[in-house]
Amino acid sequence: MKLLHRTTRDFLLATIVILLITGAGLYLFLQDEVTAEMNEQLALQAATVSRQLEEGKDAHYLFTEISKTTDPVRLDPVYGDTLLYDPIQKVTEDYHYLDIVKNIRGENYHIKVMTTYIGWDEYFKMIFTALLGTTLLLAAASILINYFSSRKIWKPFFLNLESIKNFSVSNDEALKLYDSPIKEFKEMQHTLYDMTQRSHREYNALREFTENASHEIQTPLGIIQSKLDRISQLNVSEEMSRHITQAKSGVDRLKRMNKNLLLLAKLDNNTFADKQMVWFDEVINQHLETMEELFTVKEIAASTHIQRTPVLSNPYLCEILVSNLISNALRYTEEGGLINISLSTEQFQISNTGTELDFPAEFLFDRFRKSTKHVQSTGLGLAIVQQICQLNSWKVNYHYADQQHVFTVLF
Amino acid sequence: MKLLLIEDEPLLLDEMDLYLTEQGYRCEKATNYKEGEEKITLYEYDVVVLDITLPGGNGLALLKLLKDQFRDAGVLIVSAKDSLSDKVAGLGLGADDYITKPFYLEELNARINALMRRRSFSGNNRMKIDMLVIDTAAQEVHWKDHIIALTKKEYELLLYFIVNKNRVVSKQSIAEHLWGDHYDMADNYDTVYVHTMNLRKKITAHSGTDYIKTVYGMGYKFMAP
Repeated sequence: MKLLHRTTRDFLLATIVILLITGAGLYLFLQDEVTAEMNEQLALQAATVSRQLEEGKDAHYLFTEISKTTDPVRLDPVYGDTLLYDPIQKVTEDYHYLDIVKNIRGENYHIKVMTTYIGWDEYFKMIFTALLGTTLLLAAASILINYFSSRKIWKPFFLNLESIKNFSVSNDEALKLYDSPIKEFKEMQHTLYDMTQRSHREYNALREFTENASHEIQTPLGIIQSKLDRISQLNVSEEMSRHITQAKSGVDRLKRMNKNLLLLAKLDNNTFADKQMVWFDEVINQHLETMEELFTVKEIAASTHIQRTPVLSNPYLCEILVSNLISNALRYTEEGGLINISLSTEQFQISNTGTELDFPAEFLFDRFRKSTKHVQSTGLGLAIVQQICQLNSWKVNYHYADQQHVFTVLF
Repeated sequence: MKLLLIEDEPLLLDEMDLYLTEQGYRCEKATNYKEGEEKITLYEYDVVVLDITLPGGNGLALLKLLKDQFRDAGVLIVSAKDSLSDKVAGLGLGADDYITKPFYLEELNARINALMRRRSFSGNNRMKIDMLVIDTAAQEVHWKDHIIALTKKEYELLLYFIVNKNRVVSKQSIAEHLWGDHYDMADNYDTVYVHTMNLRKKITAHSGTDYIKTVYGMGYKFMAP
């Protein structure tokens, strides 16, 4: 529910309740007052009539009935409502009367004085109509005021909301917020500025750390590697050579991981922002040619369906994307398996036969997520693929069907 | 052949020096910008191996200095920076090749060798070991008068072995040399094995000599007389 609707609804509900209470109160109060006033007037009229009767005068008043009666004296007046026919308007109207029996000069008189009044239902109708009108007017006014003034007041809020939605810590662009004269919004703005700046700083520090650390690790790794090479030139026992080989393979993994981390840091840093036209089919063919023997050794049959396709990207990233996806397919295809590669102007698809993932597919593109069966993998290849796709505004999907892993890059 | 190695990490520098000296090069060393500058202005080298990040200055400035003096030296950049823009910057200034840290010394050696071959294309582009002749211009391998038909990969592999002859060459470094280093395939050195076996068979069939020895657990060694 929108804020505007919510406030308007609450306001309307409150208005209706208040007006109902005041309406009812007004009605009861008026009824009370008017009745008391009429009773007073009737009592005065009855007193006047009986005084004139006592003085022996003929008391002829409108709406006064005087008749002799044998009823016992009743000094407590009886009030009541009655209907009388009005011959001029030709309608029956409401009257309020006072009935009393008095002893005047030894004779009992029945005195009934009446006065006309607007009936209670008339009162009720009037009050109801007035209040209903007020309610409607207030509601209309409140909606209009709310709508126009809120729209103006909330405008910066919505604009800011939009720019927060588009904000990303990995993007160097600072958050742009619109000014508002409202104090709360101002505070919110300051908080947001502070928060985004802080996250920018923290993110950059982390990014720099990854890049610097990766750089610094390279030289010692180079030393370890060359020293291991040196040792392997010596005459070593079988046991030693096993240790050296294991150490080497460790260095190799570390080297690869470090390289991939550095690449990820660079992708985060948007180092490869420059784009140019790249023939995607040529990139694929070139990689397939290089990797031909790797397929042959594992007896993997590769079928291709490649159309001439130009894309807009950094050429280096294109190569990495293709090589990561192909080597991923190669790694996870069992011997004698099948790899399918197709390229059209809309998409690049690579599928390979293999057993299902041993973890949920939505984590496939996460960093360091890999199958427990392949500990040698760095678990960064697909994260890099995803990052490259994001950078090029492409979309990469994965699904498993018919015992095949299918990766699709939508251009 | 005279090489100048400019690198600030002493352990790595010594290792490079040792390795390349063993390969028959005469090496001089510089550990910072100033030393590098001095040596470049004073002497002539065939190949300069240049680290970009140096204490006291940027290696690219040395490269510029070298090219400004019209020195005929080949330049191989060694750097921890591996982005394309760094490579483009280096190659744009006239460097001949670019290798990123950490690298295999065998690979460095192979690159220096290739650089030498490219620079001296007018003269010697034939390598001869025993009766095995490799014509690097035509990319052909001969045994006496016969051509040994090799695939492209087998040819590259043989060249790599020869350049690093009499040394143990690891499967990892071969894999990296042949397929580049971004194939995540540490568990797949069988391919190297298959290629080496094929190469071995082909050469033995012609020459009767098995030059390539398997060194248990370590890799291979090309034995040259």
